[in-house]
Amino acid sequence: MKKNIIMIGVVILLVAILVSGTKFQSVDEYYLTHMEDIKEDSETVTISIRCDTVLDNWDKLDPQLRDEKYVPSDGVILPETTYVLRPGDTAFDILNRVCRYNKIHMEYQGIENNAYGSAYIKGINYLYEFSCGKLSGWMFTVNGKYPGKGCSTYEMKNHDKIEWIYTCDLGRDVGNEYNGADMQKEKDKS
Amino acid sequence: MNGFESFHPAVLFIYYILVVCFSMVSRHPVVILASLAGGFLFFGALNGLRKTLKELLFSFCLFVPMAVTNPIFVHNGETILFFMNDNPVTLEAMIYGGAASLMIVCVLLWCRCYSAILTTDKFLYLFGKVIPKLGLILSMAFRFIPLFKHQIRKINQSQKTMGLYATDSVPDRIRGGIRVFDSLVSWSMENSIDTADAMKARGYGLHGRTNFSLFRFKRRDGILLGIMGGFTVLILSCFAVGGFDFFYYPYVAQLQLNPEDIARYLIIFVFYLIPGIIEARGKLTGKYLRSKI
Repeated sequence: MKKNIIMIGVVILLVAILVSGTKFQSVDEYYLTHMEDIKEDSETVTISIRCDTVLDNWDKLDPQLRDEKYVPSDGVILPETTYVLRPGDTAFDILNRVCRYNKIHMEYQGIENNAYGSAYIKGINYLYEFSCGKLSGWMFTVNGKYPGKGCSTYEMKNHDKIEWIYTCDLGRDVGNEYNGADMQKEKDKS
Repeated sequence: MNGFESFHPAVLFIYYILVVCFSMVSRHPVVILASLAGGFLFFGALNGLRKTLKELLFSFCLFVPMAVTNPIFVHNGETILFFMNDNPVTLEAMIYGGAASLMIVCVLLWCRCYSAILTTDKFLYLFGKVIPKLGLILSMAFRFIPLFKHQIRKINQSQKTMGLYATDSVPDRIRGGIRVFDSLVSWSMENSIDTADAMKARGYGLHGRTNFSLFRFKRRDGILLGIMGGFTVLILSCFAVGGFDFFYYPYVAQLQLNPEDIARYLIIFVFYLIPGIIEARGKLTGKYLRSKI
């Protein structure tokens, strides 16, 4: 009897620790994010989210995603918008904040689960990696260049222009030569 | 005995392979439900109501944690219920988790029925000629856990009569448990070598050696095989046409209820219910005939 009471106590304690370690929020609470107004002296970045490559690979796209809701006909999920840059913000922080502010769905793999020590964007607006063929996924450019770094390790500077682009071909269709050249080398070797 | 087990082993084996494959391949809720219904009907006809209820409870205990795990790790889906650690917990992920874990429960259930019906001797009969070594090893592996359990009980009892477990102290019990486990492991090794040697001594797997077996391919086996073949063709064509396609993300697909879809659902239901119906019929006629004596 005494043992049972101790066991129940231990279980309750474990559950309490688990629950206290998790943060529960309602939907409204989560999307209630604060965005600073742009003042004259504030640092800013420009961000846009686009998926026009999907429009060229419509037949590869998962059938349930073939809808204006998920892939807009112009391929623009978020038009170019300017937001305030907080000190120390990474590309990931900005995307996360903007998605929350605009109520755009976004799923990522946290740093703790990632082998490369950076957050990884799995899907934006229900458009996931592999949703449009085996080589599809989200990539980002800063000022038109691919940084070749994880998005949560890349710190943003004032007036940076960040673009999140959906690729259907490992980046080759959106002008990322790095991956393409790499693949070519592998091919030459074998 | 006129139950499902009285059919030819090859027929039984093919049926199980088909059932498990169909259950695992499809995520369509109707297929999963059909598999569940068929599995429980068969299990119930085999083992009676009480054991089935026990199995139902066990399945439920297995089902809940697996179903809950999915929404913790998958955040896809349109209907957000709440946010946990800044990640959405969605209705779609929950439904998918439920469906997937139900599928696993079904496959486990069918495997349990399988081990009750397709006993080791039938398995050896099927594969003893074609792949003697692998067949023997597989049949021994299937038998391993029940045999282990049985032997543990035996060792435990004999140790008890020798005065083990007399005290309540923890180190004593641990020591006793280790002793039982120790003898169990050495026994199981010896036993497997014994079995292999005994089979060898009887010339198992030698070329040109014939075996006696009780199994003969009768007309009813042929009929059942024909029915199964017909159903398999129908179901495969349904799969090919995409009748059993279903998606859960980003929103759960609408269940199609056109006449042709309902026909498909009926086909898969009937296919899964075959063994349960045969077994139940066998049991009922047996009871009826006995009541007349």
